[in-house]
Amino acid sequence: MSTPHTHKSNRAPVGAVQCENTSLNLLKANDFVAKTIRDRMAAQSTLVINITSSAGSGKTTLMQATAARLKDTLSMAVLVGDLETERDAIRIREAGVPSLQIVTGGICHLEAQMVLQAMDHITLEGVDLLFIENVGNLVCPAAFDLGEDYRVTLIATTEGDDKPKKYPRMFLTSEVMLISKADLLPYVPFSVEAVVQDAREVNPDIHAITVSSTSGVGIDEWCEWLLERVREKKGSDESNDSVVFLSKQLGSM
Amino acid sequence: MHEVSLVNSIFRSIELEFPKQDVERVRGIFMRVGLLSNVEPVLMQSAFAAVIETESAFRQATLHVEVLPILVHCAECDKTSLVENYKFVCACGKPSNNIVQGTELLIHKVEFALDDD
Repeated sequence: MSTPHTHKSNRAPVGAVQCENTSLNLLKANDFVAKTIRDRMAAQSTLVINITSSAGSGKTTLMQATAARLKDTLSMAVLVGDLETERDAIRIREAGVPSLQIVTGGICHLEAQMVLQAMDHITLEGVDLLFIENVGNLVCPAAFDLGEDYRVTLIATTEGDDKPKKYPRMFLTSEVMLISKADLLPYVPFSVEAVVQDAREVNPDIHAITVSSTSGVGIDEWCEWLLERVREKKGSDESNDSVVFLSKQLGSM
Repeated sequence: MHEVSLVNSIFRSIELEFPKQDVERVRGIFMRVGLLSNVEPVLMQSAFAAVIETESAFRQATLHVEVLPILVHCAECDKTSLVENYKFVCACGKPSNNIVQGTELLIHKVEFALDDD
């Protein structure tokens, strides 16, 4: 066979065909940038949530409902990815929260590099909660770590309760599944029980919350979950009384 | 769309890993992709064919894609089992999402032609 050939060597090989056994991870570059984001956000105790779902399952409407409920309690910001237009960022800004659109120009998912670049164009100092609203797609975004603390996947009651098994990686890598558009449950053949069971066969640990951004059902539970995570991120030190206090206030509403 | 960007990642990864003169001698690229990576071998081949049109350095290269099944390790019985139909349950009946194989997106071997001089 051939002379073993080492990386970066200029040695001319002899023989017919030589092989180089290697282990090049194609997502290495993305994972490296994701770590940069994670470290930067950890240093300033900002909780980062990556929101994923199919197109049209209510990610932006959830952002508006969440903003309405939490914007006076904590400081939040939203980065939102779409193939084209600034429509979603405008909607979120109208809800009173700083938001920046990431236009992917045809790419079907957000990559960590896009998020890192966008971070230079929005003020994140003092932000307690940063949402990254991904491109509407249950396939490709699953593979790209964006440096988030938690991945939350929405599944609308209009989509069908058999989705988790069809898009297993997304549900496998999500900590939370939000069943959205719960106000439509009386009109659609969708079983919350079936979707939760389907998701748990893929990911036994997934936490499920049923919400409706329009009627407000479940929004309290969702915001409580967020506040709990923000509190954890900030640590249990006494200096964060404001968040603890406001969360109690919210709980008693 | 996604496959084209993956093929570009393959080329950029190889360029970073090997010296320039070796890159032009690449004849075979062997990938291992886990079932959970959502990579479809047929689409990868079409994307590869399309991208090498503009990437002359790789024009003589062939892509080989091997799909790896999903394996989970069960903490209860300390066994590794195959995940079928995306049911993340160990043979002992306990649910497990401790994936030990199935998310890979790796180039595990690169084959080079040998020049005469």
